[in-house]
Amino acid sequence: MRGVGSLDETWRRALYAFAAAVLLFALGAVVRPGFVRPDSILAVLTVAVFVGLVAAGQTFVILIGGIDLSVPWVLNAAAILLATSSGGSDARAFSALLLTLGMGAAVGAVNGLGIAFLGVPAVVMTLAMNGIMEGLTLGLSGGMTCASCASYAPPAIQALAHGVFLFLPTALWLWLAVIAIVSFILGATVFGRATYAIGTNLRASELAGLRVRATIIALYALSGLAAALAGIMLVGFGGQASLGMGEPFLFQSIAAVVIGGASILGGRGHYLGSVAGAICLVALISVLLAMNMAEYGRSIIYGVIILVLLLLYGRESRES
Amino acid sequence: MSAAPSLEAITASKAYGGVQALDNASFSALPGEVHALVGENGAGKSTLIKVLGGRVRPDSGTLRIDGAKVVLAGPNDAHLLGCWTVFQELTLLPWMSVAENLLLRREPRNVLGLTSPRRLVAAAEGVLEKFGITEIDPRALIEDLSLAARQVIEIVRALSHEPRILLLDEPTSALMERETAWLFAQIRRLRATGTTIVFTSHRWHEVETIADRITVFRGGRDVGSFTTLAEEEAVTLMTGQRVETFYPPLPAAPSARADAMLSVADLAGGRLAGVSFTLHQGEILGVGGLAGHGHRELFLMLFGAERPHAGRILLRGREVRLRSPRGAIRNGIALVPEDRKTEGLLLPLSVRDNLTLAVLNRLSRFGVIGRAAERAQAARLMARLAIRAPNAAIPVGTLSGGNQQKVLLGRWLLADCPILLFYDVTRGVDVATKHEIYELMMELARSGSAILFYSSDALELAHLAHRVLVLREGRIVAELPARDLTAEQIVAAAMRERLAA
Amino acid sequence: MPPLAIRRSAAAHAIARNIGLVLVIFLLLFSIFLYGLIYGLTEGRLPGGFELTSTVNNTMPLVLAAMAQTLVVLTRGLDLSVGGVVDLANALGAISLGATPARMALASAFILLAGAGLGLVNGLLVAYGRLQPILVTLATLSIYQGLAIRILPQPGGAVPEGYTALLTNTTFPAALLYVVLLGLFWTAFRRSQAGIAIVAIGNDEGAAAANGINPLRAKLLAYTLSGFFAAAAGLFLVATATAGDATTGNGYTLTSIVAVVLGGVSLFGGRGSAIGAILGAFVTTMIVNILFFAHIDPLYQSFYEGAFLVIAVVLAEGLGRFVRGRR
Repeated sequence: MRGVGSLDETWRRALYAFAAAVLLFALGAVVRPGFVRPDSILAVLTVAVFVGLVAAGQTFVILIGGIDLSVPWVLNAAAILLATSSGGSDARAFSALLLTLGMGAAVGAVNGLGIAFLGVPAVVMTLAMNGIMEGLTLGLSGGMTCASCASYAPPAIQALAHGVFLFLPTALWLWLAVIAIVSFILGATVFGRATYAIGTNLRASELAGLRVRATIIALYALSGLAAALAGIMLVGFGGQASLGMGEPFLFQSIAAVVIGGASILGGRGHYLGSVAGAICLVALISVLLAMNMAEYGRSIIYGVIILVLLLLYGRESRES
Repeated sequence: MSAAPSLEAITASKAYGGVQALDNASFSALPGEVHALVGENGAGKSTLIKVLGGRVRPDSGTLRIDGAKVVLAGPNDAHLLGCWTVFQELTLLPWMSVAENLLLRREPRNVLGLTSPRRLVAAAEGVLEKFGITEIDPRALIEDLSLAARQVIEIVRALSHEPRILLLDEPTSALMERETAWLFAQIRRLRATGTTIVFTSHRWHEVETIADRITVFRGGRDVGSFTTLAEEEAVTLMTGQRVETFYPPLPAAPSARADAMLSVADLAGGRLAGVSFTLHQGEILGVGGLAGHGHRELFLMLFGAERPHAGRILLRGREVRLRSPRGAIRNGIALVPEDRKTEGLLLPLSVRDNLTLAVLNRLSRFGVIGRAAERAQAARLMARLAIRAPNAAIPVGTLSGGNQQKVLLGRWLLADCPILLFYDVTRGVDVATKHEIYELMMELARSGSAILFYSSDALELAHLAHRVLVLREGRIVAELPARDLTAEQIVAAAMRERLAA
Repeated sequence: MPPLAIRRSAAAHAIARNIGLVLVIFLLLFSIFLYGLIYGLTEGRLPGGFELTSTVNNTMPLVLAAMAQTLVVLTRGLDLSVGGVVDLANALGAISLGATPARMALASAFILLAGAGLGLVNGLLVAYGRLQPILVTLATLSIYQGLAIRILPQPGGAVPEGYTALLTNTTFPAALLYVVLLGLFWTAFRRSQAGIAIVAIGNDEGAAAANGINPLRAKLLAYTLSGFFAAAAGLFLVATATAGDATTGNGYTLTSIVAVVLGGVSLFGGRGSAIGAILGAFVTTMIVNILFFAHIDPLYQSFYEGAFLVIAVVLAEGLGRFVRGRR
């Protein structure tokens, strides 16, 4: 598997991100012995799954120089939709799953349509869509006061989020599957090649006969799908949906992608880097929690560490 | 007029990466002289201008202005010495007005240090009027101006600084005849005041018209300075080959019964006002004329990249509507666009990725790219076109201009399109590669491809096409057969001058 | 031979050039009209002084946040830390604004200076660190929010009445004076060397640099001023609320972007007017008012805001292209 673009550059940055994650775990071990016990590492990784899932979608759109700011409320809507449409029972779980994933993809596709056909900048389109999803979710659920709003996620989904299979949490297996699929798409398919091409030079891609608009729409649909999947896993993990559960994932997913070495301008990066970035972030937060640091301290150090990482290898090249 | 040079470069050298752009090049220009710099692309003309204008520091060598040695840390140093440059890449700010651009950094200010739109416009009007430009509204946004108007503004800006040395890099590339005539009038005016003017151009008739002296560059250094020079001799000096051997012989023109691959009827849109012609199998049809007369629109429309307002396109007699480049490719039409760096190649991607970009579907099954097939095809093309690169995985941006163009051509050869649209394919390409591209075109025509070929180099057209259509103001004003065709005829038709019998 | 360029009237040029501003003025007038209509239909009378005053007071923080965002967006950047600076100023204001006018003035000056300093940090990282603005400000947002919570862990503190009266007087719309001052500031700034430099580098940094403009200095100034105005937004926020809260500023990051976009400032940099962004802030508030008085379920509020944003942007783009039409 390979990423295109500046090949060595991409892998080098992903490697740095993994190294940083390892360092953070080591730091955690210093701060609190037992931090690097297998079960606590797995716990950290499990939390990272959620960031990682959202980051998958964010990776796709950042690769073409876009961004998805609608993640928070697509995620939230998906969580609520899954709970309410399945009514907490396994019988309806499958159809609820399809409905929810379909919703995510559809919302993403609308984002893509606005960006590709109406020329709305990605920041504006996805920001507006976030508001639209917030309004629809709050309105249709009556502010989470509707009859079925207190439903639980179907037991099957809860098991997926909490279960263990062959010594690893099933959530992690899911993530591994997603990593394999996304890496395959990016590295081995025409669609993946087109993504990198468009992110590098849209005009040249058009003139080479690539289906630029269709690709853009598909990428945003994938982002919506990823956010919905994250929402499903989260409600499975927590049991019930709540309002605002998607908020932290916006900035975290963007940070994960960038720490993983992708260029925010597009054309360079790979999901494996985002995975490393997600693990880094969650490890960082866990270490800060282990230090019993107050919330404000976590905020500050979080920002400082991101800046340090960016300064180390997130810099744009000098103009020649 | 004193014989002491006002501007000199002495054994200047400059290398970019592994490429030696200037190789111990020397140059000198006199006050009150119009000095033309000619040479093939990659010969070092632009680099020399950048060195003389302070944009680039030479690795070695000396610069002298009025006999005194100078070291230019940046364009500003040159400006302080009265030396102003108009570079090929325009430095205008698109969303600001003509007035704001003209007077940038020297706006009239009131006592508080603030400009006022009205005074700015009035001052700009004054500047434009001083240089005889009445048609451009100083309030217009640069973004809304044509390329020719923008170039005029960039030139006026330099003129308004009353330079003692004026350097112009391809100043007429976007200008139409009227603006070119205006520019020459300004140049003559400056010359009369003792200003030194140095300019580069690819258009021989311009050089002949205005230059007092011509310096030829090849391979990064000067190969001769002349007060008069015939075009054929210039080409020999620039390319190192005789004209007769530089252009390969044309294959036989297609017979009258050859397939009409592509027919165009009253095609119009943008600056194209209505053209009709037929392109046959095995034919190289040249398109000539000055830039901006509809050539770009024609090529983009034939590739589905622009929508025509009127007219029809027929492929083998069947009318088609080309909605996108993808559709054009499906119909067997390929376009090698004008600017390979911004419209053609994906510079950070590998040579292989660039080569196979247009045929990915063919090389894949169920959306998965067949690696072995891709590798094989890329290797085949690299060998066939003699693309000089250590391997197929390096980023195409690291290749030389000539090799980059070959990669772009290779992409379309892979696509196997019988109709090829070549838009200025030899621009920015070194002499050796040019020759290879010419040979390739002949080979393609021999094997039945139909080529529509636009070149800004009339000499190229005269030697490489079976027929040449000359576009002027969006229409075909002449159709010139290959027999005894000369560059002068093409240029004359483009400018509607009368040739001496 | 077609002419080199077509000359149009001064008015045509002014409109083409300021199409974003023209549109937002139209949007504002339309929304005020709609507001008046709906208010009249539901309340039986036209909105009066009280409504005007409270609308203006409530919009002031967003007006200043929009001003801050405009300066950065003009350089082709994005300032996500606006919310963080607002929070920090809010927190500082809650604890340091004393009873005496001298104390108030001193504290305010200090807070504004602090905001400028925070902005300068952003600017240094973007200009000299050569980091992408969206990423830098993402990180500093987190840092500034953390600092704010450190200073004021729980909502509280007190803002003296006199301060509130000065900034966001509840009896009459004194704040409009500040809006006018902001407008004057912008007009002057846009015509100054510094303002022209900021707009120029947003157009094309390379071209601006080639013309002798220093992109580093321009960016530093843009981000510093952004921090300054964001801090001012925080002060107005704390004045309106009369007590401090280190988290209410968070929303201003994204709403300032909305105001800027509605105001016709291009996210790609180089064009637009801060006056447009200020008016865009008022449009945003008008939309909220309209939704409230039309008795639209408040839960659906975000939906309408989002839909409105997209429609406004699409219309603006389409109209802009139409007006600039043929070359």
